[in-house]
Amino acid sequence: MKKSVPFLSLLVLACIMISCLACGLIMTKDPLYMDLTHCNEAPGKEFLFGTDTMGRDIFSMIWYGGRISLTIGFLATLLSTALAVLVGSVSGCAPARIDGILMRLTELILSVPPLLLTVFLQAVFGRANVYSLSVVIGLTGWMSMAKIVRTEVRQLKNTDYVLAAKCLGGGFFHVLFRHLAPNFFPSVLFMAVMNVRNAIVAESTLSFLGLGLPVEVVSWGSMLSLSENALFSRAWWTILIPGVFLVGTLLCLTNLGNYMRGNSNKRHSNLRGNE
Amino acid sequence: MSYLRECLKSDILCMSVGDGEMDLLRVENLSVSFFRPEGEIEALKNVSFSLREGEILAVMGETGCGKSVLCKSILKLLPDIAQIKTGHICIRGEEITGCSEKQMRKLRGHFFSMVFQNPMTALNPCMSVGEQIAEAVRLRRPQLTGRERKKRAAELMELVGLNPPGERAKQYPFQLSGGMAQRCVIAIALAAEPAVLFADEATTALDVTVQAQILELFLELRKRMGMSIVLVTHNPGVAARTADRVALMRDGELFRIGDVEEIFEEIIYNQNLT
Amino acid sequence: MWRKFLRRLYIIKILHSAVKFVLSVLVLSAFVFIISRLAPGDPLYAYYGERVEKMSVEEQEQARTRLGLDEPIPVQYVRWLQGAVRGDFGISYQYKADVKEVIAARIGNTLLLGGLGFLLIFALALLLGLFCAWREGQAADRMICRIGTVTSCIPEFWLSLLLLLVFAVWLGWLPGSGAYSVGEEGNAADRAAHLILPLAVVVLGHLWYYAFQVRNRLLEEVRADYVLLARMKGLSGKQVLYRHCLRGALPSYLCMMAVALPHILGGTYVVETVFSYPGIGTLAYESARYQDYNLLMVVSLLTGALVIFCNMLARTVSERIDPRMRMRTIADGGEVRDL
Repeated sequence: MKKSVPFLSLLVLACIMISCLACGLIMTKDPLYMDLTHCNEAPGKEFLFGTDTMGRDIFSMIWYGGRISLTIGFLATLLSTALAVLVGSVSGCAPARIDGILMRLTELILSVPPLLLTVFLQAVFGRANVYSLSVVIGLTGWMSMAKIVRTEVRQLKNTDYVLAAKCLGGGFFHVLFRHLAPNFFPSVLFMAVMNVRNAIVAESTLSFLGLGLPVEVVSWGSMLSLSENALFSRAWWTILIPGVFLVGTLLCLTNLGNYMRGNSNKRHSNLRGNE
Repeated sequence: MSYLRECLKSDILCMSVGDGEMDLLRVENLSVSFFRPEGEIEALKNVSFSLREGEILAVMGETGCGKSVLCKSILKLLPDIAQIKTGHICIRGEEITGCSEKQMRKLRGHFFSMVFQNPMTALNPCMSVGEQIAEAVRLRRPQLTGRERKKRAAELMELVGLNPPGERAKQYPFQLSGGMAQRCVIAIALAAEPAVLFADEATTALDVTVQAQILELFLELRKRMGMSIVLVTHNPGVAARTADRVALMRDGELFRIGDVEEIFEEIIYNQNLT
Repeated sequence: MWRKFLRRLYIIKILHSAVKFVLSVLVLSAFVFIISRLAPGDPLYAYYGERVEKMSVEEQEQARTRLGLDEPIPVQYVRWLQGAVRGDFGISYQYKADVKEVIAARIGNTLLLGGLGFLLIFALALLLGLFCAWREGQAADRMICRIGTVTSCIPEFWLSLLLLLVFAVWLGWLPGSGAYSVGEEGNAADRAAHLILPLAVVVLGHLWYYAFQVRNRLLEEVRADYVLLARMKGLSGKQVLYRHCLRGALPSYLCMMAVALPHILGGTYVVETVFSYPGIGTLAYESARYQDYNLLMVVSLLTGALVIFCNMLARTVSERIDPRMRMRTIADGGEVRDL
């Protein structure tokens, strides 16, 4: 029962990513230009996806802002995954005392409400820009992954095949790359993809709440931060369109992540008989 | 103990009526295949055999030759990707091949019973041993009250040598040794008061002394309850010691069946030749 | 005689957990305190508010010395701790009121929203998980999984916006903000109407994650050998699922839900903010935005303490319920194996 490759998700994701990277070719207007004569215009010929309450063209903003959202997603993931693998594997290999300290620390940070942690950190960094926000999100997103990595390392360390490989004279790096990494990789990859997802959600939520990127910096989240005005003026397109792109990206990422995790249930259910 | 004796006696009486007239279980040309995405895997090919009342039949063969599948396909406990392609399974002359799951359920707790290979995984780890045996008793005899059920479970535990039953009943599977857990599985299987007991590698996971004890138990149970046993094993010693007849399997085919002396003589003869 | 001994053992255990809890909360408070003091923004504002701007430099300095703000952070922390032990958490700069009062006025709303949400998620996740496990691989299961994946991908704030747009703006069926209409504080129906949309977001946002875990856990159980033995006894598949597999999955389910409690209860920030629901969430958001650190400290301590407590609860629950864990801990902590 092999999982099929999620072609559709890959395709959609690739389309979104390429369009965002090549936004200069696609954009029909300047995404930053506030055309005050065309505020809150419904989708039409001139403005494909309409304009927001500040008169900016949503179609252009989608691609331009998507670039920033995705950048933050990937940068934050890079940081959080690196941190998680580092802490997790150190904790997994280290003696019990260091392991205990690291894990208590992780749990401590986990018990601070994530939103507050981001706000605190953001306050330390000062006014948010793309990089500081990535760092903040990365710094707040590594804990649960580190715990999983640690458990995984602990389990793998004690398996018989690692022992066998050592008995056959395999060196540390041989065991690591030939035996541990292949077992380790799918779940890390899965978690990394999920981290991209979480980082994008965090960015959009923070920007939406006005705690992340300011309105002038266009991202999917900051586009949605105008939605309160949009609700009053019934400009559904300012809410719906960026959201659809956001959710679509997240969904594709989730499908991709689930595919990378591989098969969880190899055996067949014992519950039903052959009738 | 008295109640159990009564039940046993009546069962023996029941069986003696049918004795000699027809086989207790007859399997004809049974073919079973697993349909996987990679393709069809033939697990059983045209297997035929019959089982008489009160007889112990050893099914022997290498690992993976289809012994387990044979048992499970008779009980219809295979996963849904497995299908019986051809063949008939008859009990006391009555065909059960096309039975629905509902009908099979009645047969499973009553006519058939099975002891699984690994007692440690076959028992539910979250249920006490007594509860699991009592559940089997309840399914076999729903008319019993809670106290009678417990009493009967205790009798069964005593019968298989789980002593003292009162204390053992409160234990959980992970607190038992392999041999004790297997006795518990056997007690569950006996709670069904079956006419046919399948023992699928019942002694393989156990060490030799315990193995011997369990085999003794089977012989004794056969004597006392008069049931037939299908003993699946890959250990010739076990087969030679316990069985009346032996069936040999290879690659899903049952290629030889006969009395135990006959078969073993043949094997020894063949070995001497090579 | 040894029964008494055992009871004493339990007391020791409870004391042990209590000490651990207090220690964890202490460390947590120190952590939050240090971060909040490291953050820019003058803590003087937390005491005097806008009046700071009218003060002269000397007056500011004096105030700092009086409040001990010129001392090193550890000393300040100890001072804060002394106040906290007496129940004095300071003044909320933004609300110009005692932090305790500000929180007390709002915690009920959050408990209502989060608690109801938790109960709904608790029940629905189990039901959905059971249903999907029973129908594994069939159309219904596949459909629910697909829908669930989609709902789990929708950020809470956008789901809130969507529901607001549809039910409050377009259809006008439900109120879109607040916990009650003006002057209708005691009206239960009005409160319920205000609760529907936020509750829907809380439930939809979390449900599938937990239902999926239940489903996967049950699917693991269903693959165990004991299912065959149970079926051999004559139980039907459904009976095996309910009586055997569910039992095996229950400890981890309860454990998961205990961990989930603070997440659901405290994770209502975003929802509360979007719906302007007067709860702890909006409070936290506002205090973070306006750097009201006294308030923020207490809010994050409250949620943090809840997280720590629930984690401990989860561990205890799984130890008490799961016979495997239970026996092991008794074997570890005492001497008697069979109780």
